[in-house]
Amino acid sequence: MRTTFQEDLNLLESTLHEEGALVLRALRGALNALEQRDHELADEVIAFDDDVDQRYISIEEGVQTLLARQTPVASDLRLVLAILHVNLHLERMADYCVTIAKLSKLVPDVEPSPRFIEGFEEMGSRCEEMIRIALDSFANRDLEAAESLVTLDELIDRANRRVVERILELGEAQAMREYGLRMVLVSRSLERIGDHAVDIGEQVAYLLTAEFREFTDATHPTSRGS
Amino acid sequence: MMTDDVTIPVDVAPVEIAQERRTPSPTQRKVVFDIRDLAVTYGPTTAISGVDLEIYGNLITAFIGPSGCGKSTFIRSLNRMNDLVPGAKVDGRVLYHGQDIYGDGVDPVEVRRRIGMVFQRANPFPKSIYDNVAWGPRVLGMKKALDERVEKALTRAALWDEVKDRLKKSALSLSGGQQQRLCIARAIAIEPEVLLLDEPASALDPIATAAIEELMHDLKDQYTIVIVTHNMQQAARVADMTAFFSLQVEEGKRTGILVEYENTDKLFTNPADKRTEDYVTGRFG
Repeated sequence: MRTTFQEDLNLLESTLHEEGALVLRALRGALNALEQRDHELADEVIAFDDDVDQRYISIEEGVQTLLARQTPVASDLRLVLAILHVNLHLERMADYCVTIAKLSKLVPDVEPSPRFIEGFEEMGSRCEEMIRIALDSFANRDLEAAESLVTLDELIDRANRRVVERILELGEAQAMREYGLRMVLVSRSLERIGDHAVDIGEQVAYLLTAEFREFTDATHPTSRGS
Repeated sequence: MMTDDVTIPVDVAPVEIAQERRTPSPTQRKVVFDIRDLAVTYGPTTAISGVDLEIYGNLITAFIGPSGCGKSTFIRSLNRMNDLVPGAKVDGRVLYHGQDIYGDGVDPVEVRRRIGMVFQRANPFPKSIYDNVAWGPRVLGMKKALDERVEKALTRAALWDEVKDRLKKSALSLSGGQQQRLCIARAIAIEPEVLLLDEPASALDPIATAAIEELMHDLKDQYTIVIVTHNMQQAARVADMTAFFSLQVEEGKRTGILVEYENTDKLFTNPADKRTEDYVTGRFG
């Protein structure tokens, strides 16, 4: 039994889940900063990204060492490769949280309708749910849960379209247009976080089935899940 | 919304996907050995039993497994080397191009001429480099153009450049890696179709090992190569097909069995049998 190797693998996976928990925290912070126009909180979210990056780098280094020294194969190899990908997806999610935090500081002093902010709250909550499901499906090696992420992502995509429609209704005023532009990017960031959660689900599927496949494929829309 | 038939005219060169290392699909494979229900016993001990598999032409097939699982016994049964072991008995069939090599009237010497073997420890004769390679052809009466034959064999074994100026020197003056390549040259000098390599690199340093592995890769266009190796990574590096042997313990008796036989890619990324998974990931024992 390669005890050290197994311990190293376990450590990598637990660091990955730690990173996931930090991403959830960053996302909640970014959403609150946006809703409450709390610039201090936004700055905290931005600074907090270092914590995520630290985990990201430590996982990259750990994977590098494992590949160089232990030459993993079979399910071990798939786990190491999946960790490598999931790590990158989580780090990207954290970057989108930073983007939202930065955008929340740049909005001009306008008062859009509360419906507008509710749209973001809906998207944000769905993102949080997706990240949780993605991480849990990885931890529990749960293919069904991983595949369910596609349906949840469609809801985010729909919410994203609604937000864009509302932005178009914001009016002609210069400040509103500027606000609208920033909010398109917020919406887009949340939508991308959802996509990365789906990508994590795909890594879970790869880990469990050894098949490389995309859950959805824009080039072949009918081939989903096949 | 995207439609099903969107074609975007793009002016880019088509991308070629490297397929060099891909193992031929089952329909393209040519069966050289068809082994059916093979069992080898040494007196009261059953070394291997119930082995069924095909070995394909111009591929490298590796046999891996824990010590004592019978992989050497298996490879030795492919050219009747076990005949030389007192008390050894072979049951089942080893069909070579459809002919049972253990059938009546089959000459084991002729079998070994077509199916050459290289062993773990390089075992050159205490003679000159030239004589080592020329020995087989001489014994078999292939005396015509002997110099050319020796040069060709040494060239194929990637040794010619290193020894061409000292062909009359003793083979024992060569390094371990060179001696092993000399043994490969000696094996191919009599133009076999199959090369059986039993742990050919286990006594060599990494550089000599890499040379042997590179050589196997170069030789497979002309020969069918079967290798037994303790080194799993070596199988992963060189083999097209990999077979995993293990020990089955029943009523206190240990017998070698074939657990899984697959494309090397598949065996090392997604083995079908849990015993294979446990072995290749190091979770055995």
